[in-house]
Amino acid sequence: MRLIRAELLKLTTTRLWWVMLAVTIAYALLQLGITIGFAGVTGGQPGAPAIPGRDTERFQELMWGLGASGALFPMILGVVMMTAEYRYQTITSTFLTTPRRERVVAGKLGAGVVVGLLFGLVVLALTAVAVVITVSLAGGELSFTGSTARIVVGTLVVLMLYTLFGIGIGALIRNQLGAIVAAVAWVFVIEAIFSAIPALRPVGKWTPGGAATALTNSGVDLGLGTDWLLPAWAGGMVLLGYALVFAAVASATTLRRDIT
Amino acid sequence: MSAIEIRDLGKSFGAVRAVDGVSFTVEPGTITGYLGPNGAGKTTTLRCLLGLVTADSGTALVNDRRYVELPHPLTEVGAVLEATNFHPGRTALNHLRVICTAAGLPPERAAEALEQVGLGEVAGKRVMTFSLGMRQRLALATALVGHPRVFILDEPANGLDPAGIQWLRGFLRHLAHERGAAVLVSSHVLAEVEQIVDNVVIIAKGRLVRQGSLAELVSNGDTAIRVRAADPGELVPALERAGATVTQSDGVLRVTGLDAERIGRIALDERVVLTEVSQERSDLQHVFLELTGEGETS
Repeated sequence: MRLIRAELLKLTTTRLWWVMLAVTIAYALLQLGITIGFAGVTGGQPGAPAIPGRDTERFQELMWGLGASGALFPMILGVVMMTAEYRYQTITSTFLTTPRRERVVAGKLGAGVVVGLLFGLVVLALTAVAVVITVSLAGGELSFTGSTARIVVGTLVVLMLYTLFGIGIGALIRNQLGAIVAAVAWVFVIEAIFSAIPALRPVGKWTPGGAATALTNSGVDLGLGTDWLLPAWAGGMVLLGYALVFAAVASATTLRRDIT
Repeated sequence: MSAIEIRDLGKSFGAVRAVDGVSFTVEPGTITGYLGPNGAGKTTTLRCLLGLVTADSGTALVNDRRYVELPHPLTEVGAVLEATNFHPGRTALNHLRVICTAAGLPPERAAEALEQVGLGEVAGKRVMTFSLGMRQRLALATALVGHPRVFILDEPANGLDPAGIQWLRGFLRHLAHERGAAVLVSSHVLAEVEQIVDNVVIIAKGRLVRQGSLAELVSNGDTAIRVRAADPGELVPALERAGATVTQSDGVLRVTGLDAERIGRIALDERVVLTEVSQERSDLQHVFLELTGEGETS
């Protein structure tokens, strides 16, 4: 417990955490804005609009699910929570204080849960404000269905687990830039390929991104389909599995290395 | 029980044998100087002792346990390693608060330790604004925070100005001789620690070259005294009558068999003005200079 508090203190005594929070907020606002802007727009094509109209229930569900895509930023924060220790050689005093190294990682994972949930709550609060204002202005009726509740919880879980995922990557790849590049490349390149190409989807649903989508799946088809995903609970387990496996592998390999 | 016990310690980095069969102990209430040229294996030994580097063979124990087995390491061991292991954006006080939190120490220890090393006034400043000497003091505050009884310091004088070195010497003396702590301090400069150490361990190329108490090593071999006198012609026969062996070159007398006080009294009796009386390089310095080459002279 005191290790979790120490890790949170490490975060709050430097500036990076609120820079990342600001970026996460900006990104969420951008996404909400675009979705609101294009809601109900058919683009001259016949048939239903790509994004449902603002007065519909589906629009609200879609809005609630947007926050999870900002998971990239807490993930990077998670990476840095680990790699900054090596970059600034604070790892020496960290390991002198807590010589059982796996406990240090456990402390960081615990702090990651808190940080991820905090980020998730902030994003959801923004979403709530945007939904209430937009739907009221459009004359729709606010609804909070079971499916919405599932998406809200899913968003919290995704942001939290991506933070842990980042810590796992950071523990495995000690080089800060290398770890961030690997994490971002994974999310933007590899996962995009796996979820976009139908033939790769059987694999894609097992990626962290596929698992995250399963958690926040609003059922609104934006062109990629949703029926290939895992059930939400399984998505959560897969994401948690990634974080823990990475952290465990790191504890057995990278973390054991000599600190010279 | 020795505070620090190193037995047959060995560690290789690839093909380089960094530490090769090193053994020594450090007792409570004493300061041991761990001396050797750069690259001799001092840092590797200390890092093995602190659990940061895994030894290939042998044991390194603090208070009879491996460092990683200590339940509350900061309350038993204070370590000062490189000067750079701080996050530049964190303040000095926050650095110590993080450590106190992680170690379960009372939070007020952070500010107290900063006061102890004279950094009280800059507690709220970010470490990036600190000079090397201030960082070194902060590292020392980190070592003090848990009130340990064993101190392990790797080249702590690096980056300190002469006043800082003087302060550090006094501080280490206080810890060992008044508070009964065991202090192991490494240095590649003999003169930095010679005045304060009780025992000396010399290492070169990973192997132990010599160890013992400072007094033992210094008295080893006959110690000569350099003497310059206004009128050596009067003085030399008088010294020889008193039992000294005197050799003379370039107006400098090298006297063995008498201590400085006797030489002074003889000169007084003979009414000869002495212009220099100094102890020649001790055996310890000879050994050390041989190992370190001519790079380090005092």
